[in-house]
Amino acid sequence: MTLSNAQKQWHPIAASTDLVYRHVFHAQLFGRELAVWRADDGHVNAWENRCLHRGVRLSIGVNDGRELVCQYHGWRYANRTAGCTYIPAHPADAPARTICNNQYPVKEIDGLIWSCKADDPPEFSTPAFRPGVQLVLRALPINAPADIVALQLLSYLPLATTEEQTSSIKTVQHGAYTLCSEVTTDDTTYQLNFFLQPTDSNRTVVRSVLSGLTNNTANNEINLLKTHSQALGLVRESAEQQMQQIDTPAAWEVLIKPVSETLSRMPVGSVKSQSLTRVQVADIQDTATDIKSITLTPLEGQLPTFHSGAHIDVHLPNGMIKQYSLTNGPGQTDRYIIGVKKEPTSEGSSSFIHQSLRTGDVLAISTPRNNFPLRRDAVSTLLIAGGIGITPLLSMAQALNHSSLPFTLHYFIQGESHRAFNDLLRTFKPSLTVHTALDPQQTRSTLQDILKNYQSAHHVYVCGPGPMLDATREIAQQNNWPDEAIHFEYFKNSQQQDNSVPFTVSLARSGLTLQVPSGQSLLEVLRENNIDLPSSCEQGACGTCKVAVTDGTPLHQDVYLNQAEQLRGDCMMTCVSRAKTASLTLDI
Amino acid sequence: MIKLYDYELSGNCYKARLLLSMLNVDYSSETIEFYPAAQHKSPEFRRINPLGTLPVLTVDDLTLKDSAAILVYLASSFDESKRWYPTQDAARLAQVTEWLAFADSITGSASQVRLAEGFFYQLDAQACRDRAHELFRILDEHLWFAEQQNQQWLVAGDAPTIADIACFPYVILSEEGSINRQDYPAIRRWTDRVKRLSGFIVMPGVFPAGPGLPST
Repeated sequence: MTLSNAQKQWHPIAASTDLVYRHVFHAQLFGRELAVWRADDGHVNAWENRCLHRGVRLSIGVNDGRELVCQYHGWRYANRTAGCTYIPAHPADAPARTICNNQYPVKEIDGLIWSCKADDPPEFSTPAFRPGVQLVLRALPINAPADIVALQLLSYLPLATTEEQTSSIKTVQHGAYTLCSEVTTDDTTYQLNFFLQPTDSNRTVVRSVLSGLTNNTANNEINLLKTHSQALGLVRESAEQQMQQIDTPAAWEVLIKPVSETLSRMPVGSVKSQSLTRVQVADIQDTATDIKSITLTPLEGQLPTFHSGAHIDVHLPNGMIKQYSLTNGPGQTDRYIIGVKKEPTSEGSSSFIHQSLRTGDVLAISTPRNNFPLRRDAVSTLLIAGGIGITPLLSMAQALNHSSLPFTLHYFIQGESHRAFNDLLRTFKPSLTVHTALDPQQTRSTLQDILKNYQSAHHVYVCGPGPMLDATREIAQQNNWPDEAIHFEYFKNSQQQDNSVPFTVSLARSGLTLQVPSGQSLLEVLRENNIDLPSSCEQGACGTCKVAVTDGTPLHQDVYLNQAEQLRGDCMMTCVSRAKTASLTLDI
Repeated sequence: MIKLYDYELSGNCYKARLLLSMLNVDYSSETIEFYPAAQHKSPEFRRINPLGTLPVLTVDDLTLKDSAAILVYLASSFDESKRWYPTQDAARLAQVTEWLAFADSITGSASQVRLAEGFFYQLDAQACRDRAHELFRILDEHLWFAEQQNQQWLVAGDAPTIADIACFPYVILSEEGSINRQDYPAIRRWTDRVKRLSGFIVMPGVFPAGPGLPST
């Protein structure tokens, strides 16, 4: 078999039992190093053994059950997608979705973990084991190429614990990397499959499986394991002795697919805003009065990586597009769970979901965006939710809880029946306080109580109805919380909008000068001129269509930026904000 | 009063610091600079330890000049449960002694390569590296079979012993001597377990582990 053909085959890289709880296994195949780890949900990940940041081996990292954390600067990568979820040096920003580690094919079959060097592996064909009890032997790494190991294995002889136990062994080689023996002892016959894992040009791991054992022989497990371990030790000795007579082949060169971190720095206009994923409605539950919990699962593969605080656009069959926060915990990409409240005043999206959406329906969703990212470096985090505003905070609380970071969650609801996602909430005890049926005055005094002691490096995240957010921000400011410690997300922008005054925009990167007439938004004018800018809520609440302003003074009409950011005037929301000066220069 | 003559980058000193921390023992320490000042070879220090080696532990009039002796003393004096040094169990006690000797072999190989690569000692690094790999193969096989029998530590039993503390430092620091542990998966899992012991502390070159299975 040529090397390139062999690289298109599946090879074992570990035993299932190697991947113990919260461990990172260090594997190698055809020279390529892999960090192999099992998440708490059982999923096995086989990744490039290299942090995208500074190239440190991820095999020395920490498996936290949902994410793999690099030891060097703490970059975190999600189970299943390998997407980067958090960069401690930029705690206030969500990492760009394009930062994703290289993953390799992986399968767990018959007690072994298998991988393939090629990205498009062939169908896996299960080795023909003999019916009966199976036993995976201790893997043996040998400093010799696979062909030399195979040659030695042809004369493999398990040393019997007693003289007469092994009466015969017949070994045949199938291809370059597999051999099969039939071992006949006085009382039984069993099969021994050898799989040669080519770690590098001059290093091979022998992985072997006994099959067709009767219960009797299986009872003797530890002796069987020891017998074969000793015999393999002799194979290793001969193979390594043989290597002393010949020159060691040069190590295989490994090309590491570059992952473009710079993609994340491209001007926003060049990122396609309409990248949609199709999902199926897997479950709809009444989680509280007028609130449904909707579970969306991918039609194939995994959903994109997200970060706590992220939201998606949901494209409904009636043509409406609406934003919903993800309630998921870190690294959960097999499903998204959103909470939808029936709003009497909504233009029809929530009533559509409540009345017409059915399990099995297929919807399109945008990739997650995060304009409300959670820092994980706070000394303590205060989460304040009003009603359905609990949804992004559920995601944050799970991330904090999972990493044992201190937080408190205050949940304001109208009454007990409005308490949503109760099973999840229960897991946050004792960090959870629920405030029920408070009037606006009581709410204010409770907020005053919660926010009264600002301490350095504490952060507050608030999401809920507009008046409650306004009150929280105001009380936090009165209690000396700095702007950068107050994080908020409005559902909608209820401020009075004025789009009467026309203005001119110069686009520095695109080299265009455009007129924004009275009655039309800047975003609409940009779209008409084929500037593809991502947007989401289009009412100045979500922050998706933010652009940098390099000259002129914007007239802010959004609820996304805080006061200090608005005063700085170096960015604006193109969907609602306009110009105080006759013209603006934008960095797009 | 317990005093440790200590050097932060020494794996042998780390053995003493680890057990002092795990047994929650109060002590004072004095830094003896090993490199580049070579204070351990100075006449002043040789008055305390004529061998000119680190660590040294003094307890009132007693002076202990060997890391294994220090571990035996600390476990015998401060561990009421008698788990760390099982004097009540002849077989286990003998196995602990066996592994203390094995730890010295690791010091004589893996630690030597680290001295050559990190501290510019003139010695045959490749020979030491080969010897370390021989020892690690034996250690990995021992630990793999221990796992098969639901054992977690070097000496079979419910709790770790000073054997684990004695072997851990120069195993975990071996990469500083370019001794890769990729071929020793059972050793890698055992080092995770040691790192999760209550009272575990790190030293330069040793990273902490994440939390393990929640205790039941």
